[in-house]
Amino acid sequence: MTSISTRLANKVTWARLKSPWVLHFNSGACNGCDIEIVALLTPRYDVERFGIKLEPSPRHADVLLTTGVVTTQCAERLKRIYDQMPQPKFVVAIGACACSGGVFKGNYTVTGGVDKVIPVNAYIPGCPPKPEAIIDGIVKLLNSLKEAKPDDSK
Amino acid sequence: MGNGVQIQSTHLGKASIQIPAGSNRNVVKVLLETDKNAGISAITGLDLGEKIGLMYHVRTNGVIVTISTELPKDNPQIPSITDLIPGANFHEREVADLFGVIFQGHPNPGRLVLPEDWPENLYPLRKDAKIDELTTRPATSSFSKGAVQSEAESKLVNIFVGPQHPALLEPEKFSVKVDGEIVKAVEPRIGYVHRGVEKASEQRTYLQDVYLVERICGICNSCHASCFVETVEKILGTEVPPRGKYLRTIILELNRLHSHLLLLGHAGLEIGYETLFQYMWRDREPIMDLTELLTGNRVIASSLTVGGVRRDLKETDVPKIKTQLVILRKRMDFYQNLFNSEPSLRMRTRNVGTLSKEDALKLCVVGPVARASGVNMDVRKDEPYEAYGEIPFKLITRSEGDTYARLMVRLDEVTESINIIEYALDHLPEGPYRVKVPRVVVAGEAVSRVEAPRGELFYYVKSNGTAYPERVKVRTPTFANIPAFLKTAIGGSIADVPANFVSLDPCFSCTDR
Amino acid sequence: MEMALDLELIFRVLVFPGFTFILFFTLFCDWVERKVEARMQNRVGPAVAGPAGILQPLADFVKLLTKEDIVPRDAKKLVFKFAPIISFSFMVFALCFLPIDGASAIPGAGFAGDLVFIMALVTVANFLLFLSGWASANPYSAIGSARVLTQFLGYDIPLFLLALTPAFLAKSLSIAAIAANQYLPFILLAPWAFVLFIITLQAELEKDPFDIPHAESEVVGGLETEYCGGKLAFLHLTRDVQIVFGAALVVELFLGGPYGPVFFGLPVFWYSLWFIIKLLAVVVITEYVTCLFARLRIDQVLTANWKILLPLSVLSLTLTVAMATWIYPLMV
Repeated sequence: MTSISTRLANKVTWARLKSPWVLHFNSGACNGCDIEIVALLTPRYDVERFGIKLEPSPRHADVLLTTGVVTTQCAERLKRIYDQMPQPKFVVAIGACACSGGVFKGNYTVTGGVDKVIPVNAYIPGCPPKPEAIIDGIVKLLNSLKEAKPDDSK
Repeated sequence: MGNGVQIQSTHLGKASIQIPAGSNRNVVKVLLETDKNAGISAITGLDLGEKIGLMYHVRTNGVIVTISTELPKDNPQIPSITDLIPGANFHEREVADLFGVIFQGHPNPGRLVLPEDWPENLYPLRKDAKIDELTTRPATSSFSKGAVQSEAESKLVNIFVGPQHPALLEPEKFSVKVDGEIVKAVEPRIGYVHRGVEKASEQRTYLQDVYLVERICGICNSCHASCFVETVEKILGTEVPPRGKYLRTIILELNRLHSHLLLLGHAGLEIGYETLFQYMWRDREPIMDLTELLTGNRVIASSLTVGGVRRDLKETDVPKIKTQLVILRKRMDFYQNLFNSEPSLRMRTRNVGTLSKEDALKLCVVGPVARASGVNMDVRKDEPYEAYGEIPFKLITRSEGDTYARLMVRLDEVTESINIIEYALDHLPEGPYRVKVPRVVVAGEAVSRVEAPRGELFYYVKSNGTAYPERVKVRTPTFANIPAFLKTAIGGSIADVPANFVSLDPCFSCTDR
Repeated sequence: MEMALDLELIFRVLVFPGFTFILFFTLFCDWVERKVEARMQNRVGPAVAGPAGILQPLADFVKLLTKEDIVPRDAKKLVFKFAPIISFSFMVFALCFLPIDGASAIPGAGFAGDLVFIMALVTVANFLLFLSGWASANPYSAIGSARVLTQFLGYDIPLFLLALTPAFLAKSLSIAAIAANQYLPFILLAPWAFVLFIITLQAELEKDPFDIPHAESEVVGGLETEYCGGKLAFLHLTRDVQIVFGAALVVELFLGGPYGPVFFGLPVFWYSLWFIIKLLAVVVITEYVTCLFARLRIDQVLTANWKILLPLSVLSLTLTVAMATWIYPLMV
């Protein structure tokens, strides 16, 4: 007999899983990953089915999709945007460049992958990853949240 | 033309002239007298050991003429030519940033591509600046205060747009100074996506560089690859087999198709027309499928290589491509109708951001932005490369020069691209599609141009006889077109800025490299 | 003095057709809008949360309520925190005056002139929205809320003039009377006023082509930029309730309100059903129009208002008066 608070918490988790609002930020990408992310909203892939909405302001979003290496000029901006997002929040690094620096690793204005600046919850490799791969990554992230405790917010 | 001038014929364009440093302005003046529409295609800096080389690649009568000069490394100063050719503004700033050349008399010198907190006297593209030293410099805070500032003296409100902004797919910052609703000045701050590609290309072999330069921009990736491999092939003296040329043409035109459809849909999003955006991108998906069919990848094709293409086209795939193109052609009729008759779309784009023909020539703009202002400029017609010399197609120009004209030029070019691909498929020659090339490239230098979807893409490669290039210089079309946006935004309403901006098809990952 | 607990009043105000009904019906209309928009754009729309995605707006609402609450340091705290929910309350209160199941949520609340009263309530609610943007200490919110005010106050005038047309035809300024006196739905008697009213409503509700206060490409999140969590949920709700209110106004003024044929059983049931059906039809129409057009510039929006809609609404009133005085008595 589950207690009321557990049932409520389950409902809250359900709501969070069904309505992940994303913010897209390009911190130094070649646009390849970005156009695949924008393609997610178009009729062929249509992620609005999952309740995913592209939000304009960091304050409205739950998930930060970052693409591209983090250039030195973008590093502080990325951190600032991450700080502006309210809890619970998640970061998904999309593309080889965001995961580790990609082909640009070691260049003089490149800090590296996204996890050098902010904590990352999911990595989606590819150059660029196909939209199916991005959806797969986001779904895996949402499923991993289901297993976590309802009040486990990072 | 004065003494000390030598004319040679090399791969540096139609002609290559060596001049002493002090006479650059005189030479440019003489050039403008012979062709008043001459424009700067690129300005390349070179580290020659004891000296800094400077090359002005001038575009005149459809061909490139390179004017080279040398400056002493400890005091590299040269008079600026910005007052003669306003389009040289950004090019000179970039060379100043990366090489430390001082252009005397430049109207607004300042950092362009390097971060704001980059230390002085550290010039990344000089040979003595090693990458390890460059990456370990201390980081400092580079924030400017506030997003809106009022300048009390000038009564202008300064609105910062970016680097994170839903209208912009990429990070860049524009400070727009407005008086009420009228824009008085626009200052861009680019360099957020500067990844140091030109320096990195010197540390990689030619073949690795193909993969590197492809990733300068995901949208026009094949154009970067094709321009780079063409330049290297000029140095090597390689002749690509005809089938390879035709296959490259098909890949490049597919690239143009997807880029134009992307931009037209994005324009719809900027003016609040979400339905247009969804329809355009829906119709763009089959092009991505075709690219995947031809090259194995949806976005970054990775199919061009020095000597040809990496994959052949199967006979059984040709009908698949043709079917999709027929469907796309019919959809284009629908969009032609829409753009010609939809009132709210026309209200947002007609007479917005008009660029006159003289301004377009003075600011040296390229691509559809130039063609929409009546300038007949297209590298595919001026200096045909790949198979374009053998394929008939129309050059699309308009004369109004406003946002609507820029969008319509691209819409018409989509139909022309479909024609080109169908012709190429029908006349695809048999035979090999690539030749083997040596890994070590003989010493030499060459320039090459390609008509990317956004305009003329320019590459300069210098090789020193090893497996690694000495210098790779990239001049992307958006880099040449940004000054045009700065000019057209002034005097208009701030509400027009997004529509105007998107019509120039900006790609900042190209600009910043 | 003893006060008996009026259970019927409490039920009507809190459950049906009051607060709970309005809340869930608003969420349902949000789903209808999203589905219409998606189908117009050749997509599917929300599909996973509940059957056919019908629980999507509820999931959005609950998720927003459980997010961390951030108040910017420079914001005007009191206004920032309370303006959204007060604005929402004003909208719901205005809806309580409309006869939904044959009588308004607060029985006997209607009075002569309540048409003017509820439009004033909605104006105050929008002003509170402006205040919430102004209190955010964010330049994008400031620009967005200024645009909300400019657009709303400007279009309020033709909207009111057009609302006078059914008032004139029904010879009363009471909404309940206007809804009840439609022997023929006024859309047939004054179709010009209906068309103009729908266009003006698009501007009032800030939908395309008058979408400027929410123009992401210009003002980021508009007045909502700095809001997150529960307050954002109420800002969204306010906007959605305003859409329901606008559609309800159209239903009452032009489509005969909740009245329609009663086939069997309780009239209350049938009146509610007719009301819901008509309201959904109006919502679908406005969303359809939204999908068809691009967004106009602010100066084009203001031109459309002052130079086109305002004169046309005066003309519409004049035409209606002329028709009603001389033509219609000959027909009835």
